[in-house]
Amino acid sequence: MSNDGKYDLQIKTVKQECPDSSENDIFEEFKRYEEEFLIPPEDALRSVIRKFQLATGKEETTFSMPQKIEKKVTRFSELNSDDKNITIEVFVATYTPRIQNVRGEEKQIAFGWIEDNPWEDANSRERWDFKDWGQHSKYLSPNSIVRLEGVSVNEWNGKKSININRSTRVTTLQEGNSSPIQISNEPLNIAKISENEGFGSTIGRVISVKSDVIVKKDGSGTLDIFRGKIADESGNIGFLSWVPFEFIEGDLIKLNNISVRKFRDTPEINISNDAKIELYIDNSFPDMVNLSKTSVSSISDLRNGMRDISIILQITSWEERTFTSEDGTERIVRSGDVMDPTGRCRLTAWCDFNPKVGDYIQINSARAQFWQGSPDLVVDDLEQITNVSNPPWDDIDPSNHWVEVDIDDLSNGGSRRGISVSGTIVSVRKDSGIIYRCTKCRRVLRDDACSEHGMVEGIEDIRLRFVLDNGVSNASLLLSKEPSELFLQQKSDEIKSQISSLGPDGFINNLRNSLLSKKVNVKGRALIDAQGTMILAEEMQLLQNPVKDEALRIMNKWGVEL
Amino acid sequence: MISEGSQRIKRQSAIRIFAQEFAEANLTSRGSGEYDPAFVITKLGIMVNRALVCGVIERLDRREGDNGPSFSGVLRDPTGNHRFNVAPFQTELQLDIEELHARFESGDRFLMALIGKSNWFEGEEGGIFTSFRAEEFCVIDQETYLNWLIDASDATLRRLNSHDNSIGADLTQESMKSSGVPDDLIEGTIMARQHYPDFDSEVYRLGILKALSSALGRTNAPEIENSEITENIPVIDDNSSTLNSKDAPQVIIETIKRLDTGVGVEYDALVEACTLLGISRELAEDSIEDLRDLRSEILEPRFGFFRLPE
Repeated sequence: MSNDGKYDLQIKTVKQECPDSSENDIFEEFKRYEEEFLIPPEDALRSVIRKFQLATGKEETTFSMPQKIEKKVTRFSELNSDDKNITIEVFVATYTPRIQNVRGEEKQIAFGWIEDNPWEDANSRERWDFKDWGQHSKYLSPNSIVRLEGVSVNEWNGKKSININRSTRVTTLQEGNSSPIQISNEPLNIAKISENEGFGSTIGRVISVKSDVIVKKDGSGTLDIFRGKIADESGNIGFLSWVPFEFIEGDLIKLNNISVRKFRDTPEINISNDAKIELYIDNSFPDMVNLSKTSVSSISDLRNGMRDISIILQITSWEERTFTSEDGTERIVRSGDVMDPTGRCRLTAWCDFNPKVGDYIQINSARAQFWQGSPDLVVDDLEQITNVSNPPWDDIDPSNHWVEVDIDDLSNGGSRRGISVSGTIVSVRKDSGIIYRCTKCRRVLRDDACSEHGMVEGIEDIRLRFVLDNGVSNASLLLSKEPSELFLQQKSDEIKSQISSLGPDGFINNLRNSLLSKKVNVKGRALIDAQGTMILAEEMQLLQNPVKDEALRIMNKWGVEL
Repeated sequence: MISEGSQRIKRQSAIRIFAQEFAEANLTSRGSGEYDPAFVITKLGIMVNRALVCGVIERLDRREGDNGPSFSGVLRDPTGNHRFNVAPFQTELQLDIEELHARFESGDRFLMALIGKSNWFEGEEGGIFTSFRAEEFCVIDQETYLNWLIDASDATLRRLNSHDNSIGADLTQESMKSSGVPDDLIEGTIMARQHYPDFDSEVYRLGILKALSSALGRTNAPEIENSEITENIPVIDDNSSTLNSKDAPQVIIETIKRLDTGVGVEYDALVEACTLLGISRELAEDSIEDLRDLRSEILEPRFGFFRLPE
């Protein structure tokens, strides 16, 4: 046998199956499986046999899936006993779930009657038995009409029935007897009630309240309203009351039948005539002092539309600008970059505020509005601003202030600047490379046309687009021209010439081969909206941590020993 | 809250998963809406719509169809095989997969990374066979593969930890959360606990040990008593005859002949008969599917019971 006899047993087996194969070739293949693909010879046996069978034209049965042909019918009478992948609309007459032992596992299945021709009267329908193997109880309520896609016919002892499989798609066309929605008046904490829009109840302490006036959109007058904030240990939430609000700061209240709506990205309690609010007694509930601490936000907490924000900031730049407002008067707006340990954002002051770079300030009752996806804090009055003499953190260097976040936290938060995030590239988008932008609005042209300005002569630009993913969350990742040049270590002319010699597809292929499934770190800002997370990178670099160190880190993390 | 807010339309993340966990899943979920994502839900409670998998190319078959060629392939990782497909309508992938197919046909074998959407084929009455529809793929080097092994180990250990925490918890969101089940695993864990019977999660830990051993450069895999995650290749000596994939159909047909008393032979009995003779469970299941769906040499008149045609 070959060499040191290492694979002799396996080589002998392969030779039995593929007698024409060379022992040396078989040895080399086992060696390759062990060293390159990390598969020991005993596990590689089948693979190696298959390879040499293929090479000698002695191919074994290949894995394949039967092609499914869809059959659409309206009546059961059109079906044969061997029909599969059927689409039919039916009336669900009964649905009875039961537990059955299937292949040693207890499974919930269901049986019942369905009727074809569901849109006609009952006399013109045919009734068949069905079995639901796929736990579709949610969509197969009695008296509903549904479309079944991907069912099959079963025939047993001459009687045909329908099998509703796990892969069957059930579309409800007419609702049946749905169970009534359970309305619970059980109060939820503020963090929980803020998660979704809808109705509910909560308990909280009034942190702030003030009267306000809204001008009706149709110009027919004004509405008196109340705005404020309530808090508990889990967080705080603003409220807007359309009815007189008779409670004061510090009151602990129970709010029943309130609705939560989102204003931009910020949940807010709406109190209308249907709501019931009453004083609540709980001596263990946190007092105002403790709750006020939780009311101080950080930059990472900011959401578009937030009001009544208290936050401590470090000023990193400041400028003032004069402009002519719509009514022709000259106005001054002052703004600059600010930071805290959780990130960076802008601050705009509509008052005579002139801080020095490096000052620490606390602002109160501020509001957040997002400009191009980036948070912008706004104050209107000097009284909202106080100097902080004992800053709660050491001086942050603005030239190198990147806050490490993971994609999960980023995706569950608001838009942020100054972030550093790592993940794996799981997609190289086809529209990476040379693009053309509209001369008027800089939108990317599609088929030489701007969605806003029609056919225009575009300006050439370069960008790279990827999807960054950590296995739980993901983000769209965009590198504009300069970060692309920096990452590829090529000037735009070189990139263009590479694209012209390889072709756009060849360029994408090269990118894919060098980046797909690779880990990268990205620094930049993140825009989060209803479509998901988009990171606009200022720089990107491949991560190359030593494999052994990573393996040991994971083993320590989970307490694994080999 | 009484009503839920509007759901964000978001891209599904690519789950890092070893072949064994995905192949053993037989619970699927698809919403009734036209654009609702479809999921394969594993025993450890992850809902897989998209995955990032890696492995050595094991098979790559090309099939001509009316709409163009389609490809089916297998990537092998330390725990088993990932099956994937490239459909004729995926024209943007055809050139690359043709190139890889030519390399494979020439005898070359290589490591690949593949991003795919989970897909499944359902036997007539319940058997679920999972695979991926490829979205993007490329050939990778060993270091990238090792990094994936570590990532997939980390992700699987996280799911094992969540699974352990969920034992004893009620099947409600609140109970799962307070038991330490991460948010992204709660829904899948509840569904998995309702669907799968109790199982020994140690088999998944053994795959992780193999993967981490490779990453640390240890040539000897850890001692693994349970041989399910290996291929169950029979011990070969000079006097023995080998069993291969051609034997499995024969064993299945013979077992039905021997045991059928008129009501059919149970699925588990067929798989057991094969494994006792050294044929892997995976191959036995493939062969049952093949005999029933492609060759029509066995019938499944009642779910889980097999007979020979009259």
